[in-house]
Amino acid sequence: MFKDFLMLAARSITHRRMRSWLTVIGVFIGITAVVALISIGLGLDQTIKQQVAGVFGVDTFVLMAQGSFGPQSHAGGTPDEYALDLQYLKSIPGVEVAAAVRQRTGFVQGPTKPDGSSTQGFLPVMGLSPQLMDEFESFTGELSVQPGGRLFVAEDVDVAVLGADTAERLGAQVGDSILVAGDDNKELNLSVVGIMSPDDESSTSDTNSGFSAGMNFGGGKDTIYVPYDTMSLLWGEANDVLVTLVRTQPGSDVNEVADRVEKELTARGSELSAVTYSDISDAIGTMTSTVSAFLAGIAGIALLVGGVGVMNTMFTSVLERTKEIGVMKAVGARNSHILTIFLIESGLMGLVGGVVGTLLGLGLSAVASMLIGRFFGVHMAVVASPSLIAITLAGSFSLGAVAGLWPAWRASRLPVVDALRYE
Amino acid sequence: MPLLDLKDVTKDYHLGKTVVRALRGLDLHINKGEIVAIMGPSGSGKSTLMHILGCVDIPTAGKAAIEGTQIESLSERQLVAVRGRKIGFVFQTFNLMQTLSAQQNVELPMIFQGIKKKERARRAVEQLTKVGLADRVHHRPNELSGGERQRVAIARALANDPEILLADEPTGNLDSESGETILELLKKLSTEDGKTVIIVTHDPDATAIAGRIIRLHDGRVVEEVSNV
Repeated sequence: MFKDFLMLAARSITHRRMRSWLTVIGVFIGITAVVALISIGLGLDQTIKQQVAGVFGVDTFVLMAQGSFGPQSHAGGTPDEYALDLQYLKSIPGVEVAAAVRQRTGFVQGPTKPDGSSTQGFLPVMGLSPQLMDEFESFTGELSVQPGGRLFVAEDVDVAVLGADTAERLGAQVGDSILVAGDDNKELNLSVVGIMSPDDESSTSDTNSGFSAGMNFGGGKDTIYVPYDTMSLLWGEANDVLVTLVRTQPGSDVNEVADRVEKELTARGSELSAVTYSDISDAIGTMTSTVSAFLAGIAGIALLVGGVGVMNTMFTSVLERTKEIGVMKAVGARNSHILTIFLIESGLMGLVGGVVGTLLGLGLSAVASMLIGRFFGVHMAVVASPSLIAITLAGSFSLGAVAGLWPAWRASRLPVVDALRYE
Repeated sequence: MPLLDLKDVTKDYHLGKTVVRALRGLDLHINKGEIVAIMGPSGSGKSTLMHILGCVDIPTAGKAAIEGTQIESLSERQLVAVRGRKIGFVFQTFNLMQTLSAQQNVELPMIFQGIKKKERARRAVEQLTKVGLADRVHHRPNELSGGERQRVAIARALANDPEILLADEPTGNLDSESGETILELLKKLSTEDGKTVIIVTHDPDATAIAGRIIRLHDGRVVEEVSNV
C-alpha cells in the first residue's frame, strides 16, 4: 500500500511542477548551506588531525603545565612552567626517550671586542635536550644553523647556539665565547657552536613542523639555546620546564604510559598533565564540531524557511484538493490513508530538496577546499561520508514530513460531506 | 429485510447560528436489485439523502440501516469500511483524479482495501472493458470525452464489487447521447449484475430506467411511483 501512496504523492508533485520546484528550491538552499558547512567543518577537522598525527605519531605524548591544555587552558600570555626530574622520568617503565625544554632569563655577556668592550644584557636562555633534535624532529621541524656552525649534540656541555639577532647584537660568531650567568652567582663561559638560520627561529611557518608552533621555543631570534644539562648547571633543578616530549617503548600503550607518568610525576610534586594524540584529537574535534554546529545552526535558519515553504505549499495543495480528498474518502480511504499520502508528498519534496542540496553542498565544499588549497597551501579533504549523506537525506525527508504534518492532519480530518460539497 | 431502510430520518445542518433542516422525518425502503430514481427541486434534500444512503453522513434523528446495520451506531472507521465494500459512488462532475490514468482511477478504491497490484490491475481492466473502455485504460481523464469519463467513474464505483451504486446526477454534465449510454449501462448493471442502483436526478430520461421514482420536497417523500 505504501508504494501506491508513494505513486499518488509523486503524481501530485509532478502535476504541480512549477510550485513543487519552487518549494524544493526553498528546501535545497538550506540543505546546501548546512551540508557545505558541515562538510567543510569535517574536512578541516580531518586535515588538522592528519597534520597533528603526522607530528605526533602514535607513540608520543607531551607533558605540559597543568591547566595549559584543554578547555580551561590559559589563552596567550607567558606559557606555564613546571618542575621536572628528567632523569626520573626516563626511568619510568614504558618511557623510551624523553626530551624537555626549559627557559629562563639570564645575564649574558658577549665576546670581548677589539676595543676591549663587550655587549651585555638580560636575554631569554632556553635549555633543550639534545634528543629533541635527534628524536623529535617532527616536533621541532628541521632546525638549521648558518654555515660553519652546528647544533649541539649529546656530549656537549659548555656550548651555546645563538639566535640570529642575539648573535648580531652580541657581536658573536661561531667559535667565540659568551658568558651566561645563572642563579647563586653561577656562571659559565659557553662556546658558540652555531647561529640559527633566521628562517628557522620563528619556527612557525614551516609546514613540516606544524606542531612546533605550539612549542615555539620562545619564538625569538633573541634567544640563546643551550643544552638542557647546561641549564641545570646554571639554574639548578628544573622548575621552569615549558614542555617535555616522551616517546614510549615499542609495544606499550601510549595512554597507559602517559597516565603512569602523569601520576608518578605529580606524586613527586610536578604540576603537569600528559597530553596524548587522542587528547589533542579530541580537543580539535570538540573545537571544530562546535564551530561547525554553530555555523550549521545559522544555516538551519534557511532550512526553517524552507520548511515553512513546504507547509505553505501543502496547505495550498490541501485546499485545492479538498474535493479530491472527499472523493478518496467516499471510495474507502481512511483518515490515516489521507494523512499518509500527504505526509509522503511533503516528505518527498523535502527529500528531493535534500538530494539536490546535498549535491550542491558537497560541490560548494569542494570549491572551498580548492580555494583553501590555492590560497593557504593546505590540502583540505572534501568529506562526503555516507553517514553525513544518509543523515541529511533522512533529515530532509523528515523536515518535509514535519512541515507537512499540520496540513496533512487537516486534510485527513476533513468531513467527507463538506469535502464533497467543496467547489 | 430491505437493503436500505430509513425510518423517520431527520438531518440538521448548522450554518453559523442557523439550523437548516434538510430532511424532516423521512421514511424510505430500498430493496436489493432495485433501480430507484430520487427526484425533487433544489433544496428538497436529495443530496443529503444521498449522503446518508452512501454512509458519508449520519442522521441527526431517526434510524438508517444498511442490511440491518444501523449506520448511526457505526464508528467513522466502520463507516469507511461500509463505503469501501458495499457502496460505489458516481458523481455529476465525474471527480476523477486528473493525475491518474483510467485504469489507475479504477484501481484507487481497491488500493484503500489493500488489494494486491496484480489483482487490482486485472479487475480494473475487467471493469473498464465492461463499460466499453478496453481501449482507453491508459488514457488520462483529460484525454477522454465526458461520456467516457463518466464510464470510468462507473468502473471505479464497481471496483470493489459493491451491492449499491449511488449516482448523483450521472447525466447532468453529458450530452443526450452520452447520457443515454450511461443510463443504459446503469440499467444493465442492475438487470444483469443485480446491483442496486440509486440515481439522484433531474433528468426525465433517468426515470425511464427506474423501477421506482421517489419525489422529495422540503425534506420529505411527497410521491412514490412504481414504473411498470
